Formats: sequence, C-alpha cells, structure tokens
Amino acid sequence: VRCQRYPPLRALQASAVLRRVSDEHKKEPFTSSSQQQFDPHPAGHQPEQEPQGPHPSYTGQGGQESEDYESEEQLQRRILTAALEFVPEHGWTAEAIAEGAKTLGLSVAAAGMFHSDGSDLILHFVSECNAKLSELLEKEQKLVQLGEAEKKPTDEFLRDAVEARLRMLIPYIEKWPQALSILLLPRNIPSSLSLLTSMIDDIWHYAGDQSTDFNWYTRRAVLTGIYNTTELVMLQDSSPDFEDTWRFLENRVADAMNMSNTASQVQSTGEAVVQGLMGAAVTVSNAETSRALR
Amino acid sequence: AAVRLCRGRALLSRVRGAPRLLRGLAAGPEMHFGFQSVTEEERREKIYQVFENVAKKYDVMNDSMTLGIHRVWKDILVHKMNPSPGTLLLDVAGGTGDIAFRFINYVRSVRERQLQRKLKHHQNLSWQEIFENYQEDKFSTLGDSQVVVCDINREMLKVGKQKAQHLGYSEGLSWVLGNAEELPFDDDKFDVYTIAFGIRNVTRIDLALQEAYRVLKPGGRFLCLEFSHVSNPLLSRLYDLYSFQVIPVLGEVIAGDWKSYQYLVESIRQFPPQEELKAMIEDAGFFKVDYENLNFGIVAIHSGFKL
Repeated sequence: VRCQRYPPLRALQASAVLRRVSDEHKKEPFTSSSQQQFDPHPAGHQPEQEPQGPHPSYTGQGGQESEDYESEEQLQRRILTAALEFVPEHGWTAEAIAEGAKTLGLSVAAAGMFHSDGSDLILHFVSECNAKLSELLEKEQKLVQLGEAEKKPTDEFLRDAVEARLRMLIPYIEKWPQALSILLLPRNIPSSLSLLTSMIDDIWHYAGDQSTDFNWYTRRAVLTGIYNTTELVMLQDSSPDFEDTWRFLENRVADAMNMSNTASQVQSTGEAVVQGLMGAAVTVSNAETSRALR
Repeated sequence: AAVRLCRGRALLSRVRGAPRLLRGLAAGPEMHFGFQSVTEEERREKIYQVFENVAKKYDVMNDSMTLGIHRVWKDILVHKMNPSPGTLLLDVAGGTGDIAFRFINYVRSVRERQLQRKLKHHQNLSWQEIFENYQEDKFSTLGDSQVVVCDINREMLKVGKQKAQHLGYSEGLSWVLGNAEELPFDDDKFDVYTIAFGIRNVTRIDLALQEAYRVLKPGGRFLCLEFSHVSNPLLSRLYDLYSFQVIPVLGEVIAGDWKSYQYLVESIRQFPPQEELKAMIEDAGFFKVDYENLNFGIVAIHSGFKL
C-alpha cells in the first residue's frame, strides 16, 4: 500500500501548482485588496489588479490560505491571461481557456474551474483593460501635476481616453461581437455593467469632474452612450487604423459638449421667457387696477 | 416495523461514528455494511459478492429503480465535465461503462463541431486541400481522447466489455481491474477522475481520495456522482418510503436478490452527507471543492481540482 502523508494544515501542503508568491513580482494581495474594496480611486493601485479587487475565497478554506502561496484566484487569473492569446483562434470559449491552461503546464480539465460560456475570460479581459486605462490616465495626471504637460480641455480628454480604451480591443476585434453577446446574457449583465460603470466613472474622475448634483448622473450617462455607440461603430469599421471610428467619436463628443451648452441656453431662455410672462402678467394686472380706479 | 428498527440502528451508528477521521481509520473492527456492523475485510468481501450477484442485471435494475433518471444524472455529470478532445479520463468503479460511453460520445460531437468550424474558415479551398484536411492524422474522430475504466469487480468489467462490443465502442477505451484504494497507475497521469455511484462502496474513502489526488495531473479534476442527503423533510420521508418499501421488492422481482438491494438502500443512508464529503475531499488536497445537488439532494455531484 502506497503510504502518503498529507499534513493536516492545508496552508503547509505542498501544492502541485500554486507557487510561492515570492516567485512573482506582485505585492501581497491581501492587504491591498481590502483597501481596494473600499476606496474606489486609490492613489496608486497596482496595475495587475482588477479595479474590483480580488474576491474573497468562497470555497470555505479562507482562513487557512497561507500568505506564502498564491491563492486560487491568482492562479485563475494567470490561466485567463494565458488563455487570451488563444482567443483569436478559438474565440471566447472554454477551449481557449483549456489551451491557456496547457501553456501553464496544467491539465486541460482546469478549464472546468470557469463557467463554460467563456464569460469569465471576457470579464477578466475587460477588467484588465480597465486597469490599464486607469494606469494610463494616472500617469497623464502626474505629468500635468508636475507641470510637464498641458491640461487638456474636457472634450479632448474624453476623446483620447475613449480612443485609448477602444484601441485595446483591436487585437481581438474579430471575436469581439461574440464577447459582447455573451456579456449581454442576463447571467452576466450585473458584472459587465459594473465594470462598464466603474470605467466611465474613472474617466470622469481623471477628467476632473467633481460634481455633486444631478450632473454626476448626466455626465456618466452621456459618456456611457458615447462609449457604447463608438464601440459598435468600431466593430464594423474597415477603414485603415479605424479612422472612421475616431471621427465618429470626435463628432459624438462635440455633440455632447454642444448639448450641455444648449442645455444651459435652454435654461436661460426658459428663465427669460418666464420673466417675460411674469412681467406681462404684472403689467396687465397694473393696467386692470388702474382702469378699475379710474 | 423492521424499517423503523433499522433506522434506529442507523441513528446510533451515526452518533458513534461521528468524527469523520475515525470513520475511515477503523483498524479491523467496526465498519458498516448497510445497517450491519462488520470488519473491514468482511465488508470488502460482502461488497464484492453483492456486485458479483447484480452484475448481469445492473443496468436493468438501475433503470427500474430510478425510473430511468440515472441516465440524466450521468449525462449531467459528463456535461459538467465538458471534456475537450485530448482529455484522458479515468473512470473508477465504472463497471458497466455508462460514464465511459457518454464521454466518448461527447468528445466525438465536440470534435465534429471543431472540424466543421475549421472547414467553414476554409471557404475557398481546392478539392485537393479539402481532401488533405480530412486525411490529417491529428483529426481523428476522438482527437486522442482516451478513457480507462477501472473496476475492482471482474463480473462488472465483463458486462461492461460485452456492452462495449454490442454498442460498437472500440477506440480509445480500455478496461483495467483495480482497487480504488490502490490504483495500478502512475502519478500525474489523468486529466479527469470520475467515480459514479462507486465511492459509497469503497471501504476506505480517504484512501480512494488520496489515490485520486495522486493519479491526477496538476490542474486535473475530480468528479464524484453519488447518492446523498435530502434535506427537505417531506421529500425525505417519501424518498425513505420508496427506498425501503419499493426497491428491495423490485430487487427480488427483477433480479431475484432482495438482500443486495437492501444493502444498496442502507448504504445510501450510511454515506456521509454533502458537506462532510466535501470536507473529506478537501482533506485529500483538492482545491475549489464544490457540490451540486440534483433532485433536491437525492444525488450530488462533488467536484475538486488538483492545484
């Protein structure tokens, strides 16, 4: 009988795959993750972490996870990152994840850890892109603060941010329609929506938006609309380097700026009209009174 | 009255055998065989005899006891596995080959879909190129997937081989005589390890789980389909009624063997419930252990990964 000793504490168990965190260049995930959960705009959050932060482990082994070995979530993220290079060939599917697992030396059965529709892969990719975008905007902000760059006007800032984010889709643009359709499945809508809103929020934050009134909602709704429509245009754009898409984006942002001007114009016109009516009413009532007195 | 007595004894034995570790570490003495208490050796022998007796009528009895629903359970197991071509499966206690055949069917259809997709991309190929595509060795119908069926019982394997021949399964299938507590395979060999309705009959479950961990590749998956605990009280009473009143009778009528089916029903009651089995699987070293109840807990699929 083969005698194998399995030490009782899982933390000490020599895991077959989970490797020591010290081997990687990442910082301790546990301390920074708790910060990320409560602080939506951390000053210098790690580029590799998703904006949502690593989720707590729900498999019931939480308390025993050793801080020396990477967690299952980190391993899952490694697998998904490795799987991305197989997406152009296999699409956003469990097959791509299986190929990714193979490159890491794992069995293809490891793809069973993820949902079979490929949504985990897409959500991972989206959150990685959002993280990259935040990093980019952070760097730009630093340059402006140091005085090495000019602060861009809002419309240019928004345009550049959306373009930078959409450019990250270019390597996967063939299979992106499939990804969008999977993200729209009812099961995935909560997660995909929250990733979208946090990205838009990020962009506005770095654009310098500090509104605390209803404007906060209008601005985000408008930018979400711009982003989504531009994304759809990009999917069927065949011009060199997607020029048509960027022109479309420029026009939409300009429209949005005009709309806000128009909105304030409408408001002041409305006020003027109301004042005019009030004035007319006062004049009429004065005229009536004076006629009555005569 | 006999049923009530049996249930009383079951409660007692459950209280006695409470610590999970002790249950598996019985050095010779007190093990359960249904509601009886026997030694380890006796238990192994008795179980061997049970399956020797039922082997020929195994499939028929499965259909009549579960009204055919066991087929759906096994389908769900293979769908959950979602094997891709090139997967190496070890089906332990796989006797009559139900899981193995389903695995082969699934992989074949995935392979066909892959081939279709590949051909769709090549819209403008000449006939020569299309011909060459079909000839490619790496486009075999199974894509290098293989399943090894391992069972401790010679009779069950015999029935399985006959079924395979009858149904026309030959490629990618092998039959091995072996004990789940001591598998005759090297370390790190298999992608997936399944045990469907078999782990209940293993005398030392912890050893079987350790062996499963050993033979799986890193990243490999452990899947266990087994009768489990029904928590809904109304359903539980109906289920008990059906189990103890109907099934042994069916056993006598169809297979001429009341006692084996009495053992079956009792062994289901003795088997650890979902959470306990999950803890045992975690103890063996598996990560991301989870279970899915089918039919309110009559059956449960446990899954774990060797990470």
